[in-house]
This record gives sequence, C-alpha cells and structure tokens, in this order.
Amino acid sequence: MKIAVMQFPGTNCEHETLVSVRTAGMEGEIFRWNRPEQELSQFDGYIIPGGFSYQDRVRAGAIASKEPVMDALREEAASGKPIIGICNGFQILVESGILPVPGEVSMALAQNVMVQGKKIVRRGYYCAWTTLRHEADPGRCAGSFLIDKGALLQVPIAHAEGNLVTVRDGLVQEMNDQGQVVFRYCDWQGRILKEFPVNVNGSTENIAGICNPEGNVLGMMPHPERAYFAWQLPSSDPRKKVEAPGPGRMIFESMKRYIEVSR
Amino acid sequence: MKIIGLDDPEVKSSLRSAGVGMSVQEARSIAEVLGRDPTLPELFNYDAMWSEHCSYKSSRATLREFLPTDGPNVVMGPVEDAGIVAIDDQWCVVISHESHNHPSQILPNEGAATGIGGIVRDVNCMGAKVVATADPLRFGNTFGPEANKARWVAEGVVDGIWQYGNALGVPIMAGDVVFNESFDFNCLVNVVAIGVVKKDEIIRSRAPPGAGENNYDVILVGKPTDASGLGGVIFASEALREEEEEANRGAVQIPDPFLKNVLFKANEDLFRLVREEGVEIGFKDLGGGGFTCASSEMGAAGGFGMELDLDLMHTAGDFPPEVLCIAETQERFLIISPRSQRERILQIYNQDWDLPNVYEGARASVVGRVTTHENYVVKHKGQKVIDVPIQHLTGGIRYQRESKPRIIKLAEPAVDMPADLNQVMLKMLGSPNIASREHIYRYYDTEVQGNAVIRPGEADAGLIAPVRGEKFGVALAVDSNPFYGRISPYWAGATAVAECMRNVAAIGAVPSTLTDCLNFGNPEKPEAFWEFRESVRGLADSAKNLWLKGYPNQPVAIVSGNVSFYNEAPGGSIDPSPVIACVGIIKDVNKAVTMELKSPGNRIFLLGPRFDELGGSEYYRVIWGETGANVPQVRFELERSMVYTVIDAIDQGLAVSAHDISNGGLAISAAEMALADPARFGLDLEVQGSGDRRLRSDKLLFSESSGFLVEVTPSAREEFLKLAGRYGLQPVDLGSVIGERRMVLHRDGKKLVDLDLDEARKAWTGGLVEAMR
Repeated sequence: MKIAVMQFPGTNCEHETLVSVRTAGMEGEIFRWNRPEQELSQFDGYIIPGGFSYQDRVRAGAIASKEPVMDALREEAASGKPIIGICNGFQILVESGILPVPGEVSMALAQNVMVQGKKIVRRGYYCAWTTLRHEADPGRCAGSFLIDKGALLQVPIAHAEGNLVTVRDGLVQEMNDQGQVVFRYCDWQGRILKEFPVNVNGSTENIAGICNPEGNVLGMMPHPERAYFAWQLPSSDPRKKVEAPGPGRMIFESMKRYIEVSR
Repeated sequence: MKIIGLDDPEVKSSLRSAGVGMSVQEARSIAEVLGRDPTLPELFNYDAMWSEHCSYKSSRATLREFLPTDGPNVVMGPVEDAGIVAIDDQWCVVISHESHNHPSQILPNEGAATGIGGIVRDVNCMGAKVVATADPLRFGNTFGPEANKARWVAEGVVDGIWQYGNALGVPIMAGDVVFNESFDFNCLVNVVAIGVVKKDEIIRSRAPPGAGENNYDVILVGKPTDASGLGGVIFASEALREEEEEANRGAVQIPDPFLKNVLFKANEDLFRLVREEGVEIGFKDLGGGGFTCASSEMGAAGGFGMELDLDLMHTAGDFPPEVLCIAETQERFLIISPRSQRERILQIYNQDWDLPNVYEGARASVVGRVTTHENYVVKHKGQKVIDVPIQHLTGGIRYQRESKPRIIKLAEPAVDMPADLNQVMLKMLGSPNIASREHIYRYYDTEVQGNAVIRPGEADAGLIAPVRGEKFGVALAVDSNPFYGRISPYWAGATAVAECMRNVAAIGAVPSTLTDCLNFGNPEKPEAFWEFRESVRGLADSAKNLWLKGYPNQPVAIVSGNVSFYNEAPGGSIDPSPVIACVGIIKDVNKAVTMELKSPGNRIFLLGPRFDELGGSEYYRVIWGETGANVPQVRFELERSMVYTVIDAIDQGLAVSAHDISNGGLAISAAEMALADPARFGLDLEVQGSGDRRLRSDKLLFSESSGFLVEVTPSAREEFLKLAGRYGLQPVDLGSVIGERRMVLHRDGKKLVDLDLDEARKAWTGGLVEAMR
C-alpha cells in the first residue's frame, strides 16, 4: 500500500505528513510536482499536504490546481482512489474542481473572519487548536472511515483562508443532504457555536472538512498530521503525558482501512 | 578614484559624491596598502566590509575582553554565521541571533520579513535543518505622541514575521515584546533561529582545504542579483534621520519565503550529495555585504584567494560592478565545491528543483574559482575591476572608542500605599508589557513541522522535539528589560541572562547556551559606548557565574551574537537593550512542565526572597509613572541554586508547574499561572514569608527580584523541600491552588487582594489588542 504525498513549490508540511503515513503502517513517498504525472497511477492513495503552494498567488491553491499532476489526480479521484487534502491541499482540491462536486468550482476558502457579538474582532491568519465534531457516518468517507459519528477530535488549524463560502445557492444544503459535511468546528462539549472562537474562521455552518459525493476525497482545513502523537497536544490536554495515539492518527488509519476494504 | 595627492576635504567630497560612507583616513589607508588609487568598486567593497555591521570595528575589543565563548558543550563558538553546541554525542543545536532594526523602522513588513529570512539562512548554511525561530521585539509607545507610527511599525513587523516564517515552514516558538517611548523612532526587531545537525555533518562557511590548489568552483545559487538592499550594512551603521527615510528605503531588502522554501529543500539534496560523496564543501549565505562579503570571507577563512567573474553571475539586469558586489538581494547562497561535483550540484538547483521556472531568473551559476593567490580579484565585462589583498579586505579595522559613564539621576519615589490593590492588579495585568501575548502569537504557525511540545503562552519558554525517534527537546526563550537598561546597563545585561535561563529552567530544560544581540546608540558618543560596555560586562558576569549545570566554574557560553549600534534618532537614543536568547536542553520532553495551575489542593512554593527592587518595575511605571533606582540584581549563588532546584524538581516529577518571577513581581506571576489556558482554578496565598518583613505590602507583591513559583502536589512536598535544602534553599510555602476562580492574597492573615479571575482575564487578554489595534 503506497501513498504519494504531493509536493508543490511552497508546500511545507510534506515531511510530517509522510511521518504520519508511515507510522500508520503505509508506505509513502514525497512526489515532486515536476515528476512525470504518469508515475502517479502506481500509488494507492494521495495526500496533498499544507503550505503555501506557488505563494498563494491569485488565490490559495489556484496555481497548483493547473499543474499536470492535478489532471492525473482528477482521474485517480474518479477511479475511486482515496485523496486527502489538508489545509492548502483542501484549497487545491477546491480550485481543481474535485471538491465538493466534480467538474465545477463552486466553493472557495475565503479569508478568515472572526465574529464575536456580531462584530468582527479579527481577520486573517490564525493558529490554534480546535475541536472537530465528526458529522459523517462511519464508512462514509475515506479519510474518516473509522471515526464514529459525533466523535470529537482535537486538531490544530493554521491558515489565513479557511472560511468556506459557496458560489451556488443551495450547495450547502445539498452537501448536508448528501452527507458530504465531514467535520465541523465545535466546543469541547461538541456544541456547534456560531461565533469565534468556536467557529474559528467564520466558515459557513462551522464546516471544517467535506468530502465528494462518492466519499473517496476528503478536504479539511485542520492539520491531523500535527495531532498524530499525544505529546503534540496542548499542555492543558490530560492525554498529553500518556504514550498514546493522538486524535489525528484516525485520519491516516482511516485511509489505510479504506484502501484495504476497497481492494 | 583619486585619493593620493588630494587634501582631506577634497577626498571627503569625492567619497560622499560617489556614495561611499567611509572616513578619509580609511580611504587613505586603503590607497596606501594598494600602493595606488583604489577603483570605485574597490572602495564600495571596502566600505561594506569595513562597516560597523560587517567588521564590528567598534565592538570587537569589548566582546573579546568580556564574553565567555567556550565551554564543555561548545562545538563551534562565534566564528561563522552561527554557533553550535552539543545536545548529546550525536546531535547539535545551531543558533544565530541578529538584529534587523533599521530596515524594520523604515519598511516594517519587508524589514522584519527579511530579518527572519536572513537568520534562517545563517543556520541552514551550517548544514542544519532550521527548526524554530524567536522574535524579541521593541516598539514605541502606542499610546504616546508617536502612537500612529508606533502602531504602524508594530503591526507591519508582526505581519512581516508571520508571513515569512509561516510560508517558509519554520515555527516561531518564542519571543517577547516591550513598548516604550525610547523606541518611538527606532524599533528593535531581533531575530533568533535554531537548527539541528549531526555533529559529523556540520558544513563550514569557508573554502575547504585544497580548494585553492584544485581551483574549486565558486557557485552562486538563488535569486538573480539586483540592486535591492544596496548599502544595507552601511545604512545599518548610521543613525536614522527622518528626512533620509525615502532614500533609505532602497537599502531594505525584498523578502521571498516562497523561493526560500524551495531553496532549503534543494540545499537538503546538496547536503545529502556531499555526505554520500564524502567531499567537503564550503557553504555560506549571502547576507550583509552581499556577494563580496560571502565570497571574500570564505576565501580568507580558508587562506586562499578568489577569482570571480561578474559576467557569469545571473542577474536581474545590467548593473554596475559595485552594485553586483554589495547589493543584499535576498535568498542567495554561495557554494565552494570541487569541480568533480559541478554538474550534479547544478542539476540539483537548475533541474531537480527547477529554480528557473520557480522564480524568474533564479538558478545556480558557476561564477569563479578559488586560487592560491593572496588577492581577491573580480572581473566585469572583461576588465579587472577589483584586485585587493583578501586578508586586508576581510580583516577590517578596529577602533578603540572612548567610554564615559552616563550620569543617570536616580531616586526611589515616595509613593503612597494604594487603597485598592485589586484595581492595581487589573491595571497592571492590562498593561501592554504584561498582558497576554496571544494577539501576536496566534499569527504564528507554531505547529508546522509537527514538533511543538510547549507553545507560546503555555510556559516561560517554547519547547520542540525536533528529531523524530529521539526523546530530547530543545527549549528557547528570549529576554531583555529596557527599563532596567535605563537605570543600569550592567544589571540589564546580567538580569537578561538570568531571566532567560530561568525561562528555560521553568519548563525543566538545562540552560545550554546563550546568544546576545546588543542594541545601543551611536558608539562614537562616549556615553553610548559606556552603556554598551557595561551591558556586555553584566551579561558576561552572569554567563560566567551561572555555571553550566554539572560543570562548576564553567560558563554557559555565548556562541553567537550581533551588535547593532546607531539606534538613535535626533529625538534620542534607545534604552540600552542587550537582548539575550537562551537554548535549553531537556533529555525527555515528556518530563517538561508548563505554567498553568494543575489541580486544586496543590501547594505553591516561592523560591527567591523579595527584596526592595522596584527600579524599572511595571508597578512604579504603570501605577505611579516613576522609574525608581533599585534595579533588580543577580545574586549569582542564589540564582544558580534556584535554577538547579527547579530543573531537578521537574526532572524528578516533584514540580507539576513552574513560572519565573519577573515583570510585575510575585503577584502578577501568580496571577499568570491562574490566567493561562485552560484557566480553571484559583489561588489562596499568604505572602508574609516572601521577603523582608519591613517591606511594605505593595513592594512585597510587585518587587521584580528574581525567583520562581512552583506548584507541588501534597505528596511531593517533603521531597521537594529536601531537594531545595540540598541547594541551600528554603522554599516558602505560600498556600494552595483552589477550585474557585479567585486569587486571594493575604499578609499575616490580612487580606490584600481578592481578585475575580474572570474579570482579571478580560483585562489580561485585552491589553495587547488595545495596544496594537
């Protein structure tokens, strides 16, 4: 089982993502953007890690989405192989028209807007640990295959543009109806509160991660590779001192399980 | 340019009209050594290399006189771009510390960003992976007469730092920020970077042995050279004048974290190549002084000469030779390597990492060769434009500056006992110099690389686990108190070192090495030079007397640093600011502790008695508008014992949290432990035993004498006391953690403070937002 961790100029999370892939028991390698795209077909799954591909020129993810390797990934997505886009990887999947619905660019990750008491208290880049509620049924999505519905996961975010907005009316309802909403930002008790700091970036309906209608492609703003080990957790989390798996590990183990069952 | 035979005024006028900043005597001494009139490119090269920034011409003698730069764990002291100390038998920490003050005052965003950009290159070029940065910042008073400018600078600097650091993918793990009016016209942007490297994989910034005999290649890598950052080191070596601001903008470099991100990955391939091939190369970043500085220093350090051809350089246009030589175009490196590796090195940068397509005009180019001659020779358009003795060019010059004590009028203020200490507490917690730093550090990607163990806001120092599979952690903290500097530059230096060490000790790490970034006014003024010397003497005394743990009488060595003079404007000079960074090592990151209160029922112990030391304190300034005189001192033996006790207590699992006492004193430090996330508990403390019984209660609570607050579980109490006793200390049991969100402070049973901690948290979290909005 072999995973390609995609690398564009400006990607900056490929090494820790590769560590997570390997620790989860999969083989993996970093796939540089200028390698022949035909070589991608030999992999069983793909992760597009975070960073600032092409310096976020035009819009975050916009330039990388035009690379030949993304044409190849579009085909792999259609064939049912799992793809996870994290942070900038999510932005690239949206700009490539792979998420939320194949073939159309119907959504964007806009600038973070932090709203408190109906007032904007901050904008732009924000790095903090968040709690995610898993909204999908287990088995629905390749990247959260093993996670129970309603489960809470502590995972950090670090981005300036994670505020999910849609171009087409009714798209959010459609995603809700189709079970495409995978993660929402919530408080530590699992409540979906609309305002900052629970809705950390102003995202529509607190959405933090979505999948395509088939469920094999997951895009999420939070970074599971930074929450793979318990020692990475914030100091206030009692699990930190325990030699235990971190919450982000479920994402990578889900991908592995999905590949196993779809073989 | 004609010098020989002209009189002084004539030489001066031709130097100035050409844009060369050196003195007439300097120009004459060059002509004398060359035995002829120097060419214009030669003068520009000397001007850059002999600038204060590159040559340390005013400071070197003082640094040599005082600083301890060697110690049992030092692998490389301050000889190249970064210092190196051992973590264990295999791994080392690489550290570098610099200032980017002048550029950040003129163009805050670009100035600060290129500060980060430059410092990470210094660490990377030693063959290291850059794993963290820190940013000690000093801004003007954002509520004072220059409020708008100060806010513009502060916001731009923070933006520049996060935009560069986050995009590059290096976490910003530590920092501090102080606002005061002495920085109204001269902000300080100091930057620290640390990296990790295996001891046997360190790469040196010099032409390796045999480079001259075998005519090794000189390969320039990165962004095409342009005219940006022209004269940056000369600009950094003069006082700022507002009317020249427009002209000085050209001296600020242009940052590009995107290109740097790709370059760093290509450099990793270069390091792997030379490891596998078993060849030694020289590798250096291009920073202050540009191409000339990097190439001549590498040649001179190897004892060789250089022959360079500017026509082989990749450039962004047709520039005069002196521009190509000294422009400080960012994102460039220089490689000196055997010819046998040429094709493979060029392939790494130009094909594998595709630099020409990633950034227009970027690439790797062979630009010359190392020679066994003694000269530094540069050709341009077929003409020899520079031909000077390389050791003379890089050797610089020395000045013995005059030093004269500044007469500082000092007095302790006669202030009344405040009627309501709760209000005093709230006001101090909301002060921009004490309030929570969250507003800034949420801009910083502390999580990238996935190594963060303790983050800003969680403890006195940041901690990372930089090598997967290894248990050790590297802690980083920075410190300097300008208000102490105003009273006593000596104690400002000494306390900065001590506080920095306490910061890393408070998480359980052993202070391992120090760096100093020395920010002062114009060294040609005897008082400013005295301040510089006093600070260096003070910080050196602390470094020498707060021994490396386990090595009595051995210093914690200062392995890297930087001197930034001329931080003054017509309005006056900055407060003396010897900024210190400390790296600590902890053997097992799982043992580290943070500062937030852990559990009701635990005891809070005080280490370090309170003295009448409120000179420069937050209390005097924020509440009374006074400076005072009794600046905190460092009692070396006491300080050592406290630091060692805390480290051992954490290592043995006796302390569950710890926080150092500094700005705001005991009361504020205690409040901070209750206010840090998740902010669930409170405190009930009795302060009578915390110091001299004759001290008035406000002084007892807010004295900034050094110390620690340590949270200990009831079952560990006896062991903790025994441990401290072995170091000759008697910790004071102040009281306990309570489940309620209140902080109650008694003295001799009488209630002094009864603070609603939720209200306190509002003041504390809002203070910096208000100051920077």
